[in-house]
Amino acid sequence: MLKKLLRQNETYLGVLIVCLCIAISIANPSFLSFENIAGFLKSYSMVGIMAVGTLFVLILGGTPDVSFTAIAQVVEYAVVVMTIAWGGGIFLALLAAALIGALMGLANGYIIHYFRVPTIIVTIATFNIYFGLLYVITRGKLINNIPQQLKDFGNFLILPTQSKIGGTYGLSLHPIIWLGSLLLGWFILRKTFLGRSVFAMGGNETAAERVGIRTRRVRVFVFAFVGFLAGIAAVVHVSIVQSVVPNIIVGKELEVIAAVVIGGASVFGGKGSVTGTFLGVVLFAILNNGLTLLSISSYWYDVAIGVVITAAITISAYQQLRQSRRRVNVRIEA
Amino acid sequence: MQDEFLQLKEVRKSYVGVYALKGVDFGIRHAEIHCLVGENGSGKSTLIKIISGVLQPDSGEIHIEGRKMDHMAAAASLARGIHVIYQDLSLFPNLTVAENIAISELQERGNVFIDWDLIHRIARSAMDRIKVDMDLDIPVGELPVGRQQLVAISRALTTDLKLLILDEPTASLTAHDIDHLLKVVQDLQSNGIAVLFVSHKLNEVFEVAERITVLRDGENVGTLPRQELTNDRLISLMTGRTLNETRFRFSADRTKFLLEVRALSKKNNFEDISFTLSPGEIVGITGVIGSGRTELAMALFGIDPADGGEILIDGSPVRIASVQDAVHAGIAYVPENRLTQGVIMKQPVGDNLVAAILQKLVDRFGLINSKRRREQAERWIKALDIKVGDQDVAVQTLSGGNQQRVVIAKWLAAGPRILILDGPTVGIDIMAKSAIHGIIRELAAEGLGVLLISDEISEVVNNCNRILIMRTGKIRAEVGTDGASSEEVQKLVERS
Amino acid sequence: MFILIGIVVLMSVLNPQRFPTLGNMISMSYQLPIIAFLSIGMMVSMLGGGINLAIISTTNFTGIVTVLLLRAIAGEGAAEANAATALLAMAGGLAAALLIGALMGWLIAYVEVPAILATLGVMTLLDGVNVVITKGYTLSGFPVFLLAIGNGTVLGVPIPFLLLIGVCLVLGLLLSRTVFGVSLYLMGSNPIAAKFSNINVRSILVREYILSSSFAAITSFVMMGQLNSVKANYAESYLLVAVLACFLGGVDPFGGAGKLSGMILSIVILQLISTGVNLLRMDPFFIQAMWGFIIILVVGANFSRTRLRERKRLREIRAARSP
Repeated sequence: MLKKLLRQNETYLGVLIVCLCIAISIANPSFLSFENIAGFLKSYSMVGIMAVGTLFVLILGGTPDVSFTAIAQVVEYAVVVMTIAWGGGIFLALLAAALIGALMGLANGYIIHYFRVPTIIVTIATFNIYFGLLYVITRGKLINNIPQQLKDFGNFLILPTQSKIGGTYGLSLHPIIWLGSLLLGWFILRKTFLGRSVFAMGGNETAAERVGIRTRRVRVFVFAFVGFLAGIAAVVHVSIVQSVVPNIIVGKELEVIAAVVIGGASVFGGKGSVTGTFLGVVLFAILNNGLTLLSISSYWYDVAIGVVITAAITISAYQQLRQSRRRVNVRIEA
Repeated sequence: MQDEFLQLKEVRKSYVGVYALKGVDFGIRHAEIHCLVGENGSGKSTLIKIISGVLQPDSGEIHIEGRKMDHMAAAASLARGIHVIYQDLSLFPNLTVAENIAISELQERGNVFIDWDLIHRIARSAMDRIKVDMDLDIPVGELPVGRQQLVAISRALTTDLKLLILDEPTASLTAHDIDHLLKVVQDLQSNGIAVLFVSHKLNEVFEVAERITVLRDGENVGTLPRQELTNDRLISLMTGRTLNETRFRFSADRTKFLLEVRALSKKNNFEDISFTLSPGEIVGITGVIGSGRTELAMALFGIDPADGGEILIDGSPVRIASVQDAVHAGIAYVPENRLTQGVIMKQPVGDNLVAAILQKLVDRFGLINSKRRREQAERWIKALDIKVGDQDVAVQTLSGGNQQRVVIAKWLAAGPRILILDGPTVGIDIMAKSAIHGIIRELAAEGLGVLLISDEISEVVNNCNRILIMRTGKIRAEVGTDGASSEEVQKLVERS
Repeated sequence: MFILIGIVVLMSVLNPQRFPTLGNMISMSYQLPIIAFLSIGMMVSMLGGGINLAIISTTNFTGIVTVLLLRAIAGEGAAEANAATALLAMAGGLAAALLIGALMGWLIAYVEVPAILATLGVMTLLDGVNVVITKGYTLSGFPVFLLAIGNGTVLGVPIPFLLLIGVCLVLGLLLSRTVFGVSLYLMGSNPIAAKFSNINVRSILVREYILSSSFAAITSFVMMGQLNSVKANYAESYLLVAVLACFLGGVDPFGGAGKLSGMILSIVILQLISTGVNLLRMDPFFIQAMWGFIIILVVGANFSRTRLRERKRLREIRAARSP
């Protein structure tokens, strides 16, 4: 049992996170406060939700999807405009967001499957299409006055507590939604045939076809799911930031992908876990938070991430290398 | 013909101007073990694809259980109990044994949710039918090939299997695995399942088949019970010619050593290997997969250097830590796996031929002399009689035998003194095999020292003057081939 | 080839006053080299079966290092520095780029990190370092010599363009007539068989990424010359364009295939489309969306092209096999 644990990527990641937490809280004890933890979980909820979608794409195999941020951006605008125009509560907004996102992802899935082209190329194209058209339609306008329902949703706090400097803090709903997306992802991957099909296709797509798996359906589902989650992430984001800025989500693609990869998903497909994805995002969240608490300029954030990513992949590749060297080719008998 | 489960009548199939099957009659009886043999291009794989519904015949009839099948698609063939296991096994390396076995049935059932208990039960019951026991929760990618194959067969058993088609099943199996597989095949038979073995390993065909069908150039040249066939008759049916292989005789001096290996060892690969090789010798190394023979070759060639022991060339010790070192010492290696290690498929024949000697084509400006490059390629195409239109076509368009010639030529261009050949005629037609043996003998006659690694006993007995028998990492015996027969050597191999 | 002519015609028809003019040709030949150098640098990394995601970051890094060296050597008089000083600083910048290339090559060849991950990590790292050093500011004030590289002409032909031609000639020779070049293609197609064929795969990989990064350096110098400034995140969007240009130019992302001639053609086509569309004064974001559609079109075209190629290959095999 212990041996199996030691072989998992997630274990090392977990240990790394714990070490980081210890290091940071020694330097700045307020790290471990409820307020702080609730804070960074909240700010990374959007990334966390989108990471679940990216996990599916990586398991399916092939190059990653880079259009999900554009999808989220479009949905953000669409939902806010719709809610301003037609009203409707938070549930309607979430529903609409998920639906629109899913449709956009669906388009990705069909194009990728039909043309048999690397995902990254198609999603670069759709990224440009979605983002470009969004700007053409909105003229880059910001929306500062978002509907009250969204604001309330964003401000809702569980366990509201008075902070010493006046003002309230508590656990907001966003990490809960993040958790929900993690559970949903886990459930699909582990408990549904669809989820196992994603793994199967990632492991050996021709075999999957031979066994009768409907590869087109599975692929289209995965990309629609990415869009679905991107839509939800968009609502989460807009309720946190409380305004719509047209180009703030895009640019985060690499961070999301890196988090999922560090969490153990293989770029070659067929491997990955929800736990790992969660830990990957948490790692980035803690890094970011740690740098802020230690008053290190935010410029260093990118460097820190770069070091972590490079170190993580180097270590994992090195491990693979050692494993293949140590493999027993021949059992030598006397 | 009620006894026949499957019957093909006058089946024809052609592609882009080539007739793959020219009116083939073929039948398989219930629960029989039937072998299909034929050279490359004989129509074997087309026949299999038609039986499994992947391809439709241009004309002719297919009958299953007496019923005529019209436009039988893959799903229909599966539904009638016909299941093919290809060489690649169609397994998912990242999923567990249980999942791999159960996945066909799960897809069939169409359940949305996964019931892990159900998966385990399906897997268990399939494995029980062939008396196989394995840990169900290991990812299949971690299993050795022999066990993977059993997983693939178990998956076939989750359907209502009537005919199992195995396409070249023993290619990468150890002797132990092969024995087990043959037992499994017999178990299947007692379960009422017919097995169609497609194989080119004639000794296995003889061991297990009840009837043998020979295809040649798209025609069925005979379906005969095993007792009526001998090895020679089979070969002549397959090739349309008779094969006269003479024995290799070595006459030169055995006191000068081109290569001497002393106590060579590598952890988890081989141990205490010592032998000599003189110019003009062809020394065979035989032993099944897992005996350490390929690992030994890799160490001599610098791909996976040894940890201990000595290698001497012309009496002086050399250090071989990389391929470059080995080539510098005059060693060349024709690899076991032609497709992934031997040739670079998508690149032109010409480039493949000069790949090992690029440095030598450079003129005084540091650039490769185009004329010399093309001339070198042409020279070797002629020297080894490689059948290719022009040197710029991709190597993948060549037949297996010709591809192997490219690999050999590539190394001959480097002017080696020691040539190591690992399974050089695997998957190559019988006539082409014989031609390659001829080339090897010529090279020996020119003074090269040749190490011939093969698990085909007849190949080493006919073409070597000495055989080293390896098992589990060590050399167990050394045999001179003068006066020895294949059967004697076979027994020695088994006993070592 | 026909696509090229078709596009030239199309653009001229849409833009009769401005497109087919000499002035336009000249301005295009100023812009073209930047994306050309980047795309070719990317092609070099893809030939070996990998990818260089860090190429833009390396470009910016080179620029930053060069400026810092310039200021370190010349102090306040950076903008008036002579050619020798400029060259010295540039040499330093080049060295920095080559070092990055060597690092990536090492990670990929010796630690066996997949190229996409190794270059992703280095890219993120460099982006961070670039921002930290410049604090987000734009650095400018370059000597005449450098500006000439970006803006000067020789006999009326822009220097960057001449540079491009020269570099292409050298690279063409390198790829087809040197041991490195031939080995690169072989290795890109099948690194295992290449290793078995006496090709030092590790050495080729490292050199490949050093070469790719050298293109990042050249791009940087031309960019500095043209824009007279250096920033931490210039040309970010060019990364995807470079990948697209490779894809369009026939480079196989799995390695082993891709010709310089194809690349040139695809880059020229992309440049023509880009300029032609710009001249139409369309909304720049609409242009962006349009690029997306173009990619999809290209993808579809490639798809049918591959299908035709496969059928041709099948025929080749049959032909080669028949007696």
